[in-house]
Amino acid sequence: MKTRIQFALALPGIAILAASCAYAQHKAGQYESGDTGKIARKLSRNAATDASYDFGPFQLYGPNLPGGNGRQEVYVYCNNCHSPIYITMQPPLPADIWTAEVTKMRKTFGADIPDDAANKIVHYLQTNFTPDTRKR
Amino acid sequence: MISDPHFSHPLASRRGFIRAGVLAAAGAPALSAWCAALAQGADPKPAGSRDLPDFTGPEPNPFWNSVGPLVEEPQKVPLILLTDRPVQLETPRHYFLTTITPNEAFYVRWHLETLPNLVDLRVWRLRVEGNVEKPLELNLPELFDRYKPASVVAVNQCSGNSRSRFQPRVPGGQWGNGAMGNALWTGVRLREILDAAKIKPGSVQVQFEGLDRGRGPEGNGSNLFLKSLDLTNPVLDEAILAYAMNNRPLPVLNGFPLRLVVPGYFATYWMKSLTFIRVLDKVDDNFWMKAGYRIPATPRGTTTPDEFKTGKVPTIPIDKIPVRSFLISPDGSEKIPTGFPLLLQGVAFSGTHGIKKVEVSTDDGKSWSDARLGEDFGAYSFRTWQVAWKPRQPGRYQVAVRATDGGGNVQPDEGVWNPGGYLWNKIERQEIVAGSAA
Repeated sequence: MKTRIQFALALPGIAILAASCAYAQHKAGQYESGDTGKIARKLSRNAATDASYDFGPFQLYGPNLPGGNGRQEVYVYCNNCHSPIYITMQPPLPADIWTAEVTKMRKTFGADIPDDAANKIVHYLQTNFTPDTRKR
Repeated sequence: MISDPHFSHPLASRRGFIRAGVLAAAGAPALSAWCAALAQGADPKPAGSRDLPDFTGPEPNPFWNSVGPLVEEPQKVPLILLTDRPVQLETPRHYFLTTITPNEAFYVRWHLETLPNLVDLRVWRLRVEGNVEKPLELNLPELFDRYKPASVVAVNQCSGNSRSRFQPRVPGGQWGNGAMGNALWTGVRLREILDAAKIKPGSVQVQFEGLDRGRGPEGNGSNLFLKSLDLTNPVLDEAILAYAMNNRPLPVLNGFPLRLVVPGYFATYWMKSLTFIRVLDKVDDNFWMKAGYRIPATPRGTTTPDEFKTGKVPTIPIDKIPVRSFLISPDGSEKIPTGFPLLLQGVAFSGTHGIKKVEVSTDDGKSWSDARLGEDFGAYSFRTWQVAWKPRQPGRYQVAVRATDGGGNVQPDEGVWNPGGYLWNKIERQEIVAGSAA
C-alpha cells in the first residue's frame, strides 16, 4: 500500500526525470522536448578534452492521444517506462491484443498498475485503437 | 537473473528512484515543465510539438519506410521516428544506395528508456566475469593497445525489420525496411578476450550486458536487456567487440564506446554500449532469451495466428539473417520517360555465405535477368547490384528483385507470419511508372 502511494506521488511529476541521474559510469535516460525536421548536428555542449563524453539529451515528441476516459491513466502508468508513441505507432489492433499487451506490461514486465487503472487503460485502448475504432 | 555486484543502479529501489528524480529535476527544465503540467491534468503534449503522422494498417504498410516524421537526435541526420523514449529511428531508403551506411544515418533501436547520454571513460570498463579462471577488467586504451585490431564489414539488421508488412499485423516497432545498415566494424576479437579470461569447463553460454536499461523492477526484462550465445556457436570466432564504426567512434545511439558485432546474426545479439561479458554454466533464462526474440521452430520461422494460439508451436531464439534484396533507385516517386536509359540499383545481403546472385524482373516476376554485382566486401556485407533498363512503352511496371545466397537460399515470393514480427524476407516489388516521352 505504501509502495503504491509513493509510486503515485512519483508520477507523473518526477517519473520522467528519474532516470536523468548521474552514476559512476555514465548518465542515462535524459530527454528534452524536441521538434521535427531540423538538421543541426553539433558537438555536445560540454565538450572539454577530458574523458567525459556527453551526447546531450534525447528528444521528446509529444504523443497525440485522443481524449476520453483512461487517457490520464495511460499518461501516468504507460508513460512511466515508455513514451505513449508506442501506442500511436501501432496499426489498429484487435481488442484482445490490447488486453494481452496490458497484461504483458503488468505480468511480464512488472509494471505496477492497479487493477482499476489497468481496466481503464484497456478500455481506452479498445475504444480508440482497434480496426473498428481507430480514427485517421 | 544474474546478480551484478559491480553495477548498482540508483533506480533499482523505489526510494532511490524518487531521490534520483528530485536530483535530476534541475537538469531538465523542459521535462520539468511538462511534468508539472501533467500533474495538473493539463494536456501533456510538450509545448511546440505538433501532430505527427503515426500509423498504417490494419492492412500492410504500403510504403518502403515507416511513416513517422523525420526527427533530429544527437549525432544523427534527420531519421524517421518510431519512438522517442526509448529511441527508435529508421533509416530513409535513399541511404542504402551505397555499400556502407553512414554512421549519422544508421538506424537506432533501444529496448529500454534509460539509455546513455554520457559515458565517462575514466570509469568505463569492459568486465569479463562469471565462469572464468581469470576475470578481466579492461578500459578503452587497453582494448586499443593490448589486442590486435580486427575488422569486418557486416550488416546489422533488426529482427523486426519490415514488421509493418505482416498480415495480420502484429504489435511491436512498426518498421518499414530501414531497420538495417552496413558498416565496417573494427575492434577486438571476442575469442581473444574469452581466451584471456580462460573459460572454465562446464560453461554453456556467454551473456552480454550493456547500458540498455530501464526502470522496471530488478530481475525483469523491463530493467535490463541481456542476450546470450551458446559457447558451441562458431560465430563466436567471428564476433568482434567494436570500438570503431566506419573508422569513427560509434554514435552513442549505436553503442558508444563498445558494441558486440555478431556477423550474419540479427542485431538483437549486437549488444550496444557493452559493459559485461559473462560466462554462464547454465542456459540463460532471462526474459530476452526465454520469452523475447523467439521464432517458431518451423521452416522460415513461419506459423499462423490460429496455430500459434494452440500453444503447441515450439520456439527457438532467433539467429541468422535470411537472404534479402532491395531496389533502392529509382524509388517509384518519379515518372520515367519511355526509352529513358535507367539504372536499377540496390543492395542484397544474407547471413549465410554472402550473396551469389541477384535477379531483377520488370514484369512482376514473370521473367528474370541477372544483375551485375558490385564490389565484394565479404560474406556479411551489403552487396550492391545494378541493372540497366529502358521502359519500352508507357505503362506501370512491377519491378521485383530476388537474391540467392551462398547457401543456395533463394528469396521466396511468400511472406511469413509469426507473433514477434520477425524474419520478413519476401521478394520486394516496386511500381515504376513510365510515361510518353514525346
